Amino acid sequence: MLSYIISLIGLLLLSCIVQQFLPPIAPWYGARVLVLPLVVLCGSATVSTAAMLILAFLGGFLWDSQHIIQHPTLDPAVFAPPSDSLKFGYSIILYAFMGFLMQGIRPMFQEGKWYLSAGLTGVAIFLYLFAEHLLRSFVRGSLDFDNGMINQIGMTSLFTMLASPVVFWMLYRIADLCGHEISD
Amino acid sequence: MRPFNFFALLLFTAGLVWVFTLSEDAVRQVQKAYYSAISPMISKGAKAEKFAHDFIQEVEHSSDLKKQLEQSQRERDRFKLIASRVRELEGENNELRSALSFQKQTEFDVIASRVIRRQPHLWNSTIEINRGAGEGMGVSLCVLASNGGLVGRVSLPGDNVSSVLLITDEESQVPARVEGTSEVGLIVGQRTAYGESLKLRLTYLSKNAILKKGMNVYTDGRGKLFPANIPIGTIDEFEAGPVYGEAEIIPAVDFNNLKTVFVITDITGD
Repeated sequence: MLSYIISLIGLLLLSCIVQQFLPPIAPWYGARVLVLPLVVLCGSATVSTAAMLILAFLGGFLWDSQHIIQHPTLDPAVFAPPSDSLKFGYSIILYAFMGFLMQGIRPMFQEGKWYLSAGLTGVAIFLYLFAEHLLRSFVRGSLDFDNGMINQIGMTSLFTMLASPVVFWMLYRIADLCGHEISD
Repeated sequence: MRPFNFFALLLFTAGLVWVFTLSEDAVRQVQKAYYSAISPMISKGAKAEKFAHDFIQEVEHSSDLKKQLEQSQRERDRFKLIASRVRELEGENNELRSALSFQKQTEFDVIASRVIRRQPHLWNSTIEINRGAGEGMGVSLCVLASNGGLVGRVSLPGDNVSSVLLITDEESQVPARVEGTSEVGLIVGQRTAYGESLKLRLTYLSKNAILKKGMNVYTDGRGKLFPANIPIGTIDEFEAGPVYGEAEIIPAVDFNNLKTVFVITDITGD
């Protein structure tokens, strides 16, 4: 079990690197395959709640390290207060919610119905991106919904979901190598 | 809930509290370490992105070509292609000339940088350039386009690449003035849907300001983040609000076609 979790963490770090090589898919609204969230989600379906929390924490921490924009100290007499940014670490909470969602159908995953979990990764990514968009809108005080944004989120979820069987296959292989029992 | 899971949840919450209470400096250090660690991969990733982009363009181009061939205009289309390639090379040549002349003419000390990736994140408006801390990049250095227009500021310098926050990002703020008036305000980016043209908004203007379409907007140097008198764009539309006025700005820079940018390393202009 421990060697499997360590391997999962290794896979998580590897996904940070792989993410750098995946360009946006311009013809489909600039959609992306989000490898790091995908590893967290798929990994969450294969481990206990405690290990899922570790994955969510590390995944969110790494994601925010790359995506949160820090502002320099600004003169308050000139600049508006920078209240319009999300706090470093918010992704950890979102990842934990997604992890709990995946854990909800873990019994079915253990019965070998991996395709249900694969479908749920698409739903979870959509909810994650949508929640992220809502949070960003909320802190910035304007709620914008347009077709372009919905299409971009939808296509990103779809492409990420299509990649999930590959990640599940890798996890099964790693579990075999580590002697970890995924299925009942 | 099993005691072990409860304990794990407690530890998770403690970790969360630790992360949320990290100081800005600590977060900056974490991000700097992360960015330095992955910057070699970003350089290689940029090459992969360019390859994919070129491939998609080639596929689209091939499909267009096929349609044209079906219209029995093979010979003419071949010349069209050659002409288009010549125009492209001419454009590239002009751009490089203008970049070179900008570097010679500017009053600032600048470092020319190539844009290696656009919009690497899903939400933020950022670009990545091929210069890092080793070549003098630092946090908040001002970035200009070859036409002298304001592009943004360096938000995260890595070892050999840096991330630039564009002025079109919602989190960007630039103190600005309208030429020929006493109006000053803050330029902020606006959220745009994928494929839409990028917009800027000049806020905190006086509500009875008299502004006309086409008036030039420049940085005003307040706050010392950006040097004064750098072109930002032109006024498109002015709206008077109950307290402040706001104007929509057409950027001076074509953000969709940025290839070379210039990072100001000395804003004194000596």
